[in-house]
Amino acid sequence: MAVSRRTFLGRGSMAVAAAGVLSSVPGLSGLLGATESEAPAADSSVADLGSTDTALSEPLVAHVRDASTGEITLFSGTREIVLRDPQLAGRIVRAAR
Amino acid sequence: MSSHREAPEISKDPVADSTDLYAFVSPDNPDTVTLIANYVPLEGPDGGPNFYEFGNDVVYTVNIDNDSDGDADIVYEFRFETDVTDPGTFLYNTGPITSLTSGSWNRRQRFSVTRIDHNGRATLLGSELACPPCNIGPLSTPDYPSLAQAAVHDLPGDVRVFAGQRAEGFYVDLGAIFDLGVLRPFEQDHTTFGLTGTGIGKMAAGVNATKSLNVHSIAIQVPVAELTSNRRTPSGVGAPNAVIGVWTAAYRQKVRMWDGEGDHVWAGPYVQVSRLGNPLVNEVLIPMGKKDYWNSQAPAGDHQFAPFYANPQLAQLLPVLYPGVFPNLAAYNAGTPNRADLVAILLTGLPAGVVPGFQNFTGTTQADMLRLNMAVPPASSPQNTGILGGDLAGFPNGRRVFDDVVTIEVRALAGAVLDLVDPSFTPDAAAGAVDQGLTSSPADTAAMGTENYLPSFPYLGVPASGFAVPAA
Repeated sequence: MAVSRRTFLGRGSMAVAAAGVLSSVPGLSGLLGATESEAPAADSSVADLGSTDTALSEPLVAHVRDASTGEITLFSGTREIVLRDPQLAGRIVRAAR
Repeated sequence: MSSHREAPEISKDPVADSTDLYAFVSPDNPDTVTLIANYVPLEGPDGGPNFYEFGNDVVYTVNIDNDSDGDADIVYEFRFETDVTDPGTFLYNTGPITSLTSGSWNRRQRFSVTRIDHNGRATLLGSELACPPCNIGPLSTPDYPSLAQAAVHDLPGDVRVFAGQRAEGFYVDLGAIFDLGVLRPFEQDHTTFGLTGTGIGKMAAGVNATKSLNVHSIAIQVPVAELTSNRRTPSGVGAPNAVIGVWTAAYRQKVRMWDGEGDHVWAGPYVQVSRLGNPLVNEVLIPMGKKDYWNSQAPAGDHQFAPFYANPQLAQLLPVLYPGVFPNLAAYNAGTPNRADLVAILLTGLPAGVVPGFQNFTGTTQADMLRLNMAVPPASSPQNTGILGGDLAGFPNGRRVFDDVVTIEVRALAGAVLDLVDPSFTPDAAAGAVDQGLTSSPADTAAMGTENYLPSFPYLGVPASGFAVPAA
């Protein structure tokens, strides 16, 4: 019996919890990336981030799935991070108008 | 087609579109199993100057379930990279390509292969492995057979791999079948919907629509013991470690962004965009509205698709398209069809006792996998109709390159083996006679247009050259 995907992801992820199903292949899932649910940052202000934190080594894509609930999906590298931050979602939506 | 362009979304993404999957005990090396996953359907051999290649942004896998739960226990993962020697020329090659290191070959691919076990442990089996060029013509790729054979790589652990262009080995009369289910050898019996003057109505020879087309193959040959749950060679056909389930899948990252300068970037985890176990399943059994979804799912969850196997639309259509030819099937369809024969063949494997001396049963978990009983030795007199023809080494016991899977599955859909699970049913005489007219007999293992199968790895033939086979 193959090990669970959650077990495998838990080895190398700082995610609070794993969510979603990427593949039936536990080992492969780890190599192909992960879907994670992150708790919203205590302070999501970009101005508070140091310069090192703002340097992106790879593309970062934010997808506001549902502005009303604040559900935002971030794609970076082979990671997918799902967060809920109504205020941030609202700011993104307003910026996009 | 077996699985060429079988779903709306993947038909727009050829490099990730799995077309055929083969799994068989290697006839010339029976201590090993050969697994071949084909991608990039319907390659016109003269399709330059940007000839066909694998996707650098696609992860390709060949998956093996050896404990009957529909989940992969072993994954062979293939990733590709492309090198351009001289971006200043428009040419694929600036002179004859006489070796895999030829300086005149401008655009080439290399690949890595990684084995991932059931614990998630990844072992890099090989990297920087050269793919051969496409077969362009006598000036660009002289002595192509030798050139391509040099791209067969022997790796530690008695593993052998090849990734590159091959001749299409799957044969099918596409033009007829997709013209509302015509089978040319039986077209005189087709209803033709009352249309006259169509040219349809006389018995005709089948036409191999894939003749002279190429594909891109990922082939790997591994020792039998590498694939079993206990890493031991099975002792016999009934041994618990004798049967494996095989499927191929392709993955892409979730997000693609064009940068406005002719390039793009990717982000996010990889998701499955294509898969293939048994031939023709997503093509024929899965309805249009579910095809893309089917491609995204893992075999372990195939119970959700079981109704499409148990009452396939094509089985309903056969008596309608060919009035009076399948009266017993028509009567069966008029009841409450429950095609346990098809469910067994495609979703669970055949238990012992159905076919004497054979089983490839993997339990009650319904999963669309190509099931191979590795204890069945290669046939000394192979039949292209596989088990239907009494050849236990052929489809649906795995699949060999020459197996006539279209004929086998059409016969099965027509009820040729339904009586094995429902003794009250009597197969129509036509069910065992239907074929697509592309082979001269069940013993014909060099079907029309595919005479170039190889006797050894990678078994699929030398691809057609662009010079020799210009577009029609």
